[in-house]
Amino acid sequence: MAEEVAFIGKIIPELLKGLAVTCRLSGGALLLGLGLGLVTAVLRVYGTGLLKAVAVIYSEVIRGTPLLVQLFILYYGLPDVGINLDRLTAGYLALGINSGAYQAEYFRAAIQSVQAGQMSAARALGLSKLQAVIYVILPQALRLVLPTWANEVIYMVKYASVVYTIAVPELLARGQMLNSKYFKPAAIFFTVSVIYIIVITLITKLTDGLEKRLAIPGLAVESGRD
Amino acid sequence: MDSILELQDIHKSYGGTEVLKGVSLSVNKGEVLVLIGPSGTGKSTLLRCINLLTRPDRGTVLLSGTDLTDPKTDLNRMRQRVGMVFQEFNLFNHLNVLNNITLGLTKVKKMAVAEAKQVARLELEKVGLADKADSFPGELSGGQKQRAAIARALAMQPDVILFDEPTSALDPQLIGEVLEVMKELAREGMTMVVVSHEMDFTREVADRVVFLEAGQVIEEGSPAQIFYHARSERTKNFLGKIIGLPA
Amino acid sequence: MDKLDLIARNLPYISQGIVTTLLLTVVALTSGFAAGLLLSLVRVYGSNRAAGLAIAYGRAVRGLPLLVIMILFYLFVADLFHLSAFMTAALALGLHSSAYQAEIIRAAIQSVGSGQMIAARSLGMSQLQAVIYVILPQALRLALPSWSNEAAVVLKDSSLAYAIGTAELLRRAEYVSARTYEPLLVFGTCGLIYLMLTFTTNRILGALEAKYRLPDGH
Repeated sequence: MAEEVAFIGKIIPELLKGLAVTCRLSGGALLLGLGLGLVTAVLRVYGTGLLKAVAVIYSEVIRGTPLLVQLFILYYGLPDVGINLDRLTAGYLALGINSGAYQAEYFRAAIQSVQAGQMSAARALGLSKLQAVIYVILPQALRLVLPTWANEVIYMVKYASVVYTIAVPELLARGQMLNSKYFKPAAIFFTVSVIYIIVITLITKLTDGLEKRLAIPGLAVESGRD
Repeated sequence: MDSILELQDIHKSYGGTEVLKGVSLSVNKGEVLVLIGPSGTGKSTLLRCINLLTRPDRGTVLLSGTDLTDPKTDLNRMRQRVGMVFQEFNLFNHLNVLNNITLGLTKVKKMAVAEAKQVARLELEKVGLADKADSFPGELSGGQKQRAAIARALAMQPDVILFDEPTSALDPQLIGEVLEVMKELAREGMTMVVVSHEMDFTREVADRVVFLEAGQVIEEGSPAQIFYHARSERTKNFLGKIIGLPA
Repeated sequence: MDKLDLIARNLPYISQGIVTTLLLTVVALTSGFAAGLLLSLVRVYGSNRAAGLAIAYGRAVRGLPLLVIMILFYLFVADLFHLSAFMTAALALGLHSSAYQAEIIRAAIQSVGSGQMIAARSLGMSQLQAVIYVILPQALRLALPSWSNEAAVVLKDSSLAYAIGTAELLRRAEYVSARTYEPLLVFGTCGLIYLMLTFTTNRILGALEAKYRLPDGH
């Protein structure tokens, strides 16, 4: 038993480096997704013609296909048309584009649940449509969307593991590398699992707390990946 | 006159607050007992103690001699003999009206389906809803829902029916049809315990009125006694507030 | 044009992956439903200790990426029970889904009004009868929209079986791409196939939802 514990102690630093990569990946993806998602949502709700069509196609296609397929298209497929992404960039992009499509849906639902009267009141004051969206609609929508967005954070941390399949050294991949070195799958993957569970539980507690303090009482958008 | 229902010294607390502070009542066969009193004084809680949907902290509930508060009593079987009609109707939303009634008959009374449907249709006729047998609760008006709920309780052929503010959730113009059904039941000799604010109905139909306030029985008597010759100041105060009777 | 020809020639092989993918999804959803239903009932109606265990299970499973669960199953469960790559993946998917389905069903049960249980008990039904004949029929209808979402998620997540060698759609696409050196084309086609699958699934489940929605939009 004691040597198992010692072994775990030995591998933890390596695993934590992997955790750091996981966190950077999910953080970057969330930010990219935030930008893409907001723009797409606004285009879907208020846009017309080509821009709206692009927004719809983007969110429907990305949400209708698996993340892994999207990753493979970016990493293995794009070189066919001359775009060569290194694995880390491919990872960020795939995760970010994927998250963006889902975030677009959450924002869209939140925007649409901000009462219609808000827009009317804003326009009646003389604000342009764009101003109304930026200063009246979005501030409310963003607070409505918080619980669902918190869920997205958790999903991103978990789905970041797919980059394991293209050998990006995140947490799971490091576990696998350590396993091929030491061949102690039980100890290694037990530790990997525990790290994931601790991290996710921490994030869940954190976002629950934040949610309670920032969200508008009595109003929340019911949606999420599940 | 045999006593069908007897409540002895019922106590119930929620959190730190004592809602029922030693209530004793008895109801005779064929009697219509109406409980009146200010909101929040435990009338609904008392009603729920009768069929043990809420278990009293102290006290006994006797149904035709059987002690319902005895832990050894088979409550599911005993509850067949006590019908209940709720303020919120509580019809089963996923079943049409006919099946709302047959569910209890087939699953609890173990009746054959065909027989259950016959019984159900009879009860629906009695409450004037024969043509609504295939409708779903969501398609009915409030008054129709409550009448269906009464049919559901009646079909089980209970010894006594409890009514928990049966008309409080209804639009005014729908209250009459439900009270009519209840009056007919009373005329036919059904034992009823009713919690209600409908004073006209009470005056017309009740055999006895019990005034409950702050978890205790303040006064009881015939409608004439309670409404016109109340002995307690508190009774007079309450009545004065709600029906403007001279104190 | 010969690119299209390439796709056409390899389509049969790739398409057999569709069957595997669909089977994976069905097995995972069904086992996930059975386990999830049990867990949700324990959480809502079970003793505090049992409910606590159910909660802990949910937290543990939902705290792990699906890929980790797949690999754990591959490393530790597959050999123990002599499971095929398919069964390993299906069970891992099922376990993962059970935790989410448990949440969906639990929320649905709790949104059936408390009056329904009270009315059922007042008729003399036991708690078990009330749950089976009154609560669950309504809860499961209420859960349909969220459940449809979960079905689509499982369909897409089945692609992760790739990582443990199951010959589902993505794996087959990868073989073809390696043989033909046309990854963009092949993976693109693979994506289109998934798109069609999710679209069809959503349609079917949407029709079911409409059929079973209770009148009055409950």
